[in-house]
Parts: sequence; C-alpha cells; structure tokens
Amino acid sequence: MLRETWSLTVREMKHWYRVKIQVFMTLIQPIVWLGLFGQAFNFGTFLPPSQIPLIFSGAPDYFSFMALGMLAVNALFTCMFSGMSIVWDRRFGFLNKLKVAPIPRGAVPLSRIMATVVRSLIQVSIVLVIALAFAYIPGLTGLTLKAGFSVTDLLGMFFVLFLLSVAFSAMFTTVALAVENQETLFGLINLLNLPLMFASAALFPTAMMPDWLRGIAEYNPLTWTADALRQFAFVDTAPIHDLWFDIIGLVAIAALLLGISAFVSRKLLSNR
Amino acid sequence: MSAIVEVENLTKRFSEDVLAVDDISFSVEEGEIFGFLGPNGAGKSTTINMLTTLLKPTGGKALVAGLDIDKQQDEVRHVIGLVPQDLTVDDELSGRENMYLQADLYNVPRGEAKTRIEDLLKLVNLEDAADRRVKTYSGGMRKRLELAEGLIHRPQVLFLDEPTLGLDIQTRTAIWEYIRDLKKNNVITVFLTTHYLEEADGLCDRVAIIDHGKIVALDTPENLKHSVGGDVISLEVTSEKDLTEDLKRVPGVMDARKEDGQYRIKAANGEELTPVVLKAVWDQGAVVTSVNLAHPTLDQAFLEYTGRSMRDAEQTGNYDKVAASRRARRMH
Ligand SMILES: Nc1ncnc2c1ncn2[C@@H]1O[C@H](COP(=O)(O)OP(=O)(O)OP(=O)(O)O)[C@@H](O)[C@H]1O
Ligand SMILES: [Mg+2]
Repeated sequence: MLRETWSLTVREMKHWYRVKIQVFMTLIQPIVWLGLFGQAFNFGTFLPPSQIPLIFSGAPDYFSFMALGMLAVNALFTCMFSGMSIVWDRRFGFLNKLKVAPIPRGAVPLSRIMATVVRSLIQVSIVLVIALAFAYIPGLTGLTLKAGFSVTDLLGMFFVLFLLSVAFSAMFTTVALAVENQETLFGLINLLNLPLMFASAALFPTAMMPDWLRGIAEYNPLTWTADALRQFAFVDTAPIHDLWFDIIGLVAIAALLLGISAFVSRKLLSNR
Repeated sequence: MSAIVEVENLTKRFSEDVLAVDDISFSVEEGEIFGFLGPNGAGKSTTINMLTTLLKPTGGKALVAGLDIDKQQDEVRHVIGLVPQDLTVDDELSGRENMYLQADLYNVPRGEAKTRIEDLLKLVNLEDAADRRVKTYSGGMRKRLELAEGLIHRPQVLFLDEPTLGLDIQTRTAIWEYIRDLKKNNVITVFLTTHYLEEADGLCDRVAIIDHGKIVALDTPENLKHSVGGDVISLEVTSEKDLTEDLKRVPGVMDARKEDGQYRIKAANGEELTPVVLKAVWDQGAVVTSVNLAHPTLDQAFLEYTGRSMRDAEQTGNYDKVAASRRARRMH
C-alpha cells in the first residue's frame, strides 16, 4: 500500500511543479483577492472602533479577518481541482493502467488526496506570507496577528487547514471518480464553490448575516476552519464555536469523507 | 500441460446492437503463445479487457490461473500483466520515470527493478531518450515504452493487445525475439492479439481467428494453413501433349490442373514432391522452363473461415471510424 501510494503521490507532485504556469496561477489568484477584495472592502472603517474586534472575531480590521478566511478558501479551491487529474488520467488511459495494477483501489484516491494536501499547505503558506507582507507596503493594510502569537498557534492553524484539505480533496476526488467526465465535474465545482464560500464565516462575519444564512454557515466546515484559525491568531475572538468543537468537527468530516472515498473507489475502480 | 486461461461462453454486449464478444469458449495452455487474429472491431480488445478485469462480462465465465476474472479480480491482477492497445504512458514523466512508476505499481524489488529497467530500455532502443519527457516521443517510441513497461514484472500470464502495431520491422522483430526468449527462460504464458498475419504465423503456438465476436477457427498456424489445402507447385512446360493425367497419377499429388498454359499441382508436402513431379515430366520427354512452389498462407485460411481476405476485412473495417469511436469513447 505504501510504495505505490507514495510513488503515485510523487507523480502528482511532479505534474504540478512541472507545469509552471499552474503554480503561478494558483499564486496570482490569492494575491488578487487579498489585494482587491481585502483592501477595497475594508468596511471596518465604517464601524465604531469598539465594535470591530467583536464583529471580526478579534481581528483588528477587516483585512486581517478576511486574510485568515482566505487561507481556508484557498485550500478549498486547491482541493476542488484535486479531481481534475483523475479526469485527465481517464481520458489518456492512465487510469486503466492503475485499474489493472495489483494495487489496493484506495491507493488511487489516497495518492491524489496526499498530493493535494501538500500542495494546499504550500499555497496557504505563501498566501499567509503575502498577507503579512502587505503591512510593509505603504497605503495597504496587512495581516496583524495577536501579540504573543506563538509557534504552537501557527502549528494549530496548519493543523486545521490540513484537516480541511483532507476533507475537501477526499470529497472532490471521489466526485471525479464517479462522474467520468470533465464537464460534469466542472459543473459540480461551480455549483458547490460559491455557496460553500459565501455561506461561511470565511469572508464575511456571520454576525452580519440573516438568521437563516447564519444557521447554515455555522455548520459549514469552512466556517469551522476560519473560526479555529481566528482563535489561534487573535485574542478575544468571540468565537462561533468552541475551538474543540471546530477541530473535532473537522476531524469527523475528514474521516468520513476519506472513508467514503476508499469505499467508493473499490466499486468504481473494479471491472464495469 | 494444463489450461491457464479457461473461457466459457464469454459474452460482452455494449448495447442493443453492439454485441462485441459473442459467446466464445476456448482455453490457453500454460506456457504457450496464444494469438487472437482478427480484423478491426472483431472483439479482440474487448476479450482482453474482460480477461484483465477492465470490463465486466455480460455473460459466461473465465478463469485465469484458476482465478475467476469477475469474482476474484484482486487475485487475478496479481498474476497478469497487460500491454494495452491504447497507450497509457504518462506524458509529463520521462521514459525512465514511467518505468520506475510501473515497477512500484507491481512491487518489483528495487534492486531487481533497476537492472530490468536498464535492460528493457536497451531492448526497445530507448536508452538515449530515457530521460526525455514522453511528450517529446514519437508514436513508435511511446509504443515501445509501453511494451517495456508491460515486461517489467514478469507475470504468469502476459496479455499483449496489438503489441507491435505501428512499429517498424526491426523493432517488431526484436520484440518477437524477446517474447520467444521470455517464453524459453520463464514459465510465462502470452496471450496476444494481432492483425499481422506474419505475427500470428511466426510467433504463436496456436491462433484463434476471431470475426464479428465469434471464434471461427482455432488451431496451430500450420494446421490452419493446411486445412485450406496443401502446397501448390506451378510448372511451365514446353510440350505438345497435355500432361495433366500423367501428373495426377504421380503418388502424393492431390490434384493437377492446367490453367493459362501452367500446370498447378496440389500436394500435402511440396518440397518432397517437387523432384518427383519434375522427373515425371522429363519421363514424358517434356522440358520444364519454370517451377514455383507456394505454401498456403494464413491469409488464405483467414479467407476460408471469414469469407474475406484479411486485407479486405481491414479496408471494409473502416479503420478511421473505429479509431474515431474509440477516441470518442475515451472522452467519457
Ligand atoms: N466501450 C464500448 N462501448 C461501445 N462499444 C464498444 C466499446 N468498446 C468496443 N466497442 C465495440 O465493440 C466491437 C469490438 O471492439 P474491439 O475494440 O474489441 O475490437 P478489436 O478486435 O480490438 O478491434 P481493433 O483491431 O480495431 O483493435 C466494436 O464494434 C466496437 O465498436
Ligand atoms: Mg483492439
């Protein structure tokens, strides 16, 4: 199980970094988002200063609030495309090679999930650095972390981002195994990405949402991630959930989706 | 010898009107090179794909090394190897990286993998290109890489779907040689499909002729050829007299006819009979100006069993259409 999964993971990584433009694109997008969206919508300036940390989960300004949400959103976007390689492999016959090989069926999704998680964490680190670097550009707001932000907090942040990446890459890998063609996969991604992103605390405070939307957003894994990230990064966050609730929720959903992926791949990668 | 592939009433229906494999039964003996010969669309790949756990049979059953291809798929995969007709090598990796990936997928011991990979790259003449990315390869190079990959793990039963399609004659001959060696030095059974008559004839111990999803004949290439008639000796003779009756009386001659000033003599064994026939002609005082000995070909056998020659079958098989539909299929 280990050898082939590792080998296939390495293959995925090679595909990623050999297509330079792909690496470039995944960096451009968060910069644009942070630069335009984060700066332009800096609507914290319209709020009374005493209200700001309350509404923005302890963040000193909207940019800091949304920059952490962007980490989660960026991980989500990376994971959404984890299934693309399966679609290509089906198209170019490589999937047949994997189907006849004497490997556990789960190695196919697992290798994609591992590669995606690594990619996602690398990208998230870069986004984090960029958000922090904005503080040094005159005229721009940057990400301000709490005084006394520690390595443990940083590891905590990466741990929740890891869980989120596992969950979503497992989900989209499984979807790609099931749908068999690119158009359907793109359709599904488009269908899911906006609701997932906007019905969450990632980019907007739930406090400003109508009740029905808040009700949904509170159970969105993206909210759990953003909520946990902010609890690590800021003080007095007025959290949506307890930190442990967020983490256990993410562990549970990641485990569930991994399980489904392993189960479904046994069916989908057998003779049909 | 015992059967290592046993197929009973195997059937694959893709849709109402596409019955790709129609109730076929046969068995392959351990250690033999067994060939499926047939025109485009005959059902060769479909059969291989069922036997290698890629496609689910609509009916019938098959055992590979005693394992049920439907109920014991995992076990079957451990004893087989497949070189598919459609290429599956990875464009973004180099040739050598592709080989190592394959060795990992089949759990070939690492030290062993290294020597085998170098040997195989040499065999298929890709040593110099081995570190280039596959997307810079020509079609023939890709095919050779695919073949080399399929040979890494030395399976009990090796399935080769059109192994030499599109290869030049040197490479083709080298591959045949390798397959023969493989068989000589290992306990390996090779199941291959082809529409090259020379390949079926020169390489295979037994050949099944398949057409429209059915096996229409199955035997050794020799027997298949002889089943459609013996050798033909053609003679040009300067003689006033018609020698047909005299020739027919020569022991061993099956039939003799005069066509366009030539005598055509059918015999089971042309090599042995030619001198005898020549002597009979001289005894009549006639002079032989030209002799030609023709052995029956597999193409004649193919013609006999399918009602068309291989070349015609290919032409009416609409290769482009089949290829296009295959490409379209892969899009799904
Ligand atoms: N997935 C599929 N869906 C529908 N029809 C199919 C499918 N695969 C094969 N067929 C049809 O089944 C028949 C047999 O195809 P197959 O690929 O087995 O032929 P073949 O003998 O391998 O031919 P070739 O020499 O061209 O490789 C053809 O009519 C083909 O169009
Ligand atoms: Mg074929």
